[in-house]
Amino acid sequence: MSTNVLICDDSNLARKQVLRSLPESLSSDAQLATNGEEALAILRNQNIDVLFLDLTMPVIDGLGVLQAMQDESIELPVFVISADIQPEMQSRVLNLGAKAFLRKPVQLETLNENLKLHGIL
Amino acid sequence: MLDEFCLDISNRLNTGILFLDCDYNIIMWNRFLEVHANKNDNDVIGKSVFSIFPELPRKWFERKLSSVIQLKTQSFCGWEQRHHLFELFHSRPITTDSHFMAQNCTFLPVEISGELEGICILIEDVTDVCHYQNQLNKALEELALSNRIDGLTQTFNRKHWEECLAKEFSRARRHQHDLALVMLDLDHFKLLNDTFGHQGGDLVLVETAKAVTKLLRMGDLFGRYGGEEFAVILPNTNLAGAEEVAERIRQSIAKNTIRYQDRTISVTASIGVATIDSIDTRYEDLISNADIALYEAKAKGRNRVCLAKETLLA
Amino acid sequence: MSAFDLSEDQQDCLQELINVAMGQASDQLARYLNTFVYLKVPSIEQVKSDQLFDSGHQNLEAIAVVSQGFFGYEGIRGEALLMYQPQDSHRLADLLGYEDDEMSFDEQIIDLSSILTTTFLNVFASQIDNQMSYSAPRLISANQGMVSEHLTQQAFNWDLALKVRISYQVTDYSFNCDMVLLIPEEAIINIKTVIDRILEDF
Repeated sequence: MSTNVLICDDSNLARKQVLRSLPESLSSDAQLATNGEEALAILRNQNIDVLFLDLTMPVIDGLGVLQAMQDESIELPVFVISADIQPEMQSRVLNLGAKAFLRKPVQLETLNENLKLHGIL
Repeated sequence: MLDEFCLDISNRLNTGILFLDCDYNIIMWNRFLEVHANKNDNDVIGKSVFSIFPELPRKWFERKLSSVIQLKTQSFCGWEQRHHLFELFHSRPITTDSHFMAQNCTFLPVEISGELEGICILIEDVTDVCHYQNQLNKALEELALSNRIDGLTQTFNRKHWEECLAKEFSRARRHQHDLALVMLDLDHFKLLNDTFGHQGGDLVLVETAKAVTKLLRMGDLFGRYGGEEFAVILPNTNLAGAEEVAERIRQSIAKNTIRYQDRTISVTASIGVATIDSIDTRYEDLISNADIALYEAKAKGRNRVCLAKETLLA
Repeated sequence: MSAFDLSEDQQDCLQELINVAMGQASDQLARYLNTFVYLKVPSIEQVKSDQLFDSGHQNLEAIAVVSQGFFGYEGIRGEALLMYQPQDSHRLADLLGYEDDEMSFDEQIIDLSSILTTTFLNVFASQIDNQMSYSAPRLISANQGMVSEHLTQQAFNWDLALKVRISYQVTDYSFNCDMVLLIPEEAIINIKTVIDRILEDF
């Protein structure tokens, strides 16, 4: 059974950075969203197994996505990948149910370690 | 070999190098500092920077260095904000007016393989720059002043006076304050010039300006409007107040006897007064209202004050 | 399209580099000031030399501008201008952790500008395997006429400015400032080369 991946980031480069850090099994069919609104639409209508989420985005930001997921009981592992690395922001994100906080630019080793740690790989 | 070479160069540099550990103890300094601080190497190395340079503003200095240590980024302190941090002697005590060396200081974090080892402070002697910049500023100020002043009477010149009026006018408009304008013209000035010559006429202008200046408050703006015409801007003054000032100016000029080449010159002035009112939309209107009143004073026999009337505006 | 216009991909890449630099710089700043900084998406705009003051600065009368030059490898260089509205600045001493009488207002904004510029550009540089040196920051003036004059007397002819609007909002106190990076044309071409190298990697 394949794992359905959604990558949400307003930057094309950042989405590619995540994509190329993922093993082939996860990246080959990954879906992409460029803001929180697009991501929520996909999350509501499709079976997504894991979400990689940016924070600072237009329309609906990362915190907004996490909040909506909590409100609508959409449950799946979320990995936040952001440049806003202040400790207070990290703890907010984790309190909203994210599995892990990864700093940008994302490193292949860190991403894979975290995926293993949380049983995705 | 290369170390020796670097040491030699650092001792010949015309810049001070001061290396501190993270507890503010002096690890190393170069010859420039040794010479300019006039202290012996042996008494300095290993000591706290605050004991060697007690003049340092300690709290400020510690906060400054903490930003360098914490952010691992360089920081500056220029002479324009602080003339000097370290009391160092400089090489131009006679030709400049600084007692101590003016300085630009750069604070650099020193990292060895990612670990912060200390802070390097570079101290540049900018006494010359500081000296010339100050001279330049003085010259610019004088130039700016001479651009505003009428050379003969030492009152504001026409251009600057009008700029002042434009500002005062819009300020009065904005805050709905009073604003009055007094314009005065010396009577029969051409005749006076013909009788006493232009030097006599010039003296009258100078003495009249002095007499008027004595009567003015701070904030009043006095300028030479044309040949023998002067004007005074009176902020926050209504028509009655301005009339009083104008009358005092008239009397003072009339009483003023001017000695010129063993002769006595007497002069009188005709004065027009106007105030800002709801119809005036531009400051030029205020000038022309005062001007109309001034001509009325001339027409009525001179040596008198006339007030602009609302009816004249229609 | 001139030599220094960025393609969509180049623009996206630059935006992401700036986001990351902003994020890390804010984190350092927040730790240093011992507070939380609310980060907004920095707006990045390319501005031609004659348009720098066209928009966004209606209140130009009284503005404080601090300038600091930067130099990196591979011909990446320019000048950073930090522009403040004075009403935002009266509590800077508090924010920076100095006693009120320890520092003049001029010194405060110079100090803050230097911190903002160097933390931001250090991270920006490290992402592109570069390293920056800086000249001493200078307060240009408190009025716009002087700023325009300064810009026309630039040591280099800059053709394009990268205007990065940073809005730092601190928990109990907020201030806004614009960081404008003036970059000469050769340096823009060098930056494009670096960006293209990053993009080729993908």
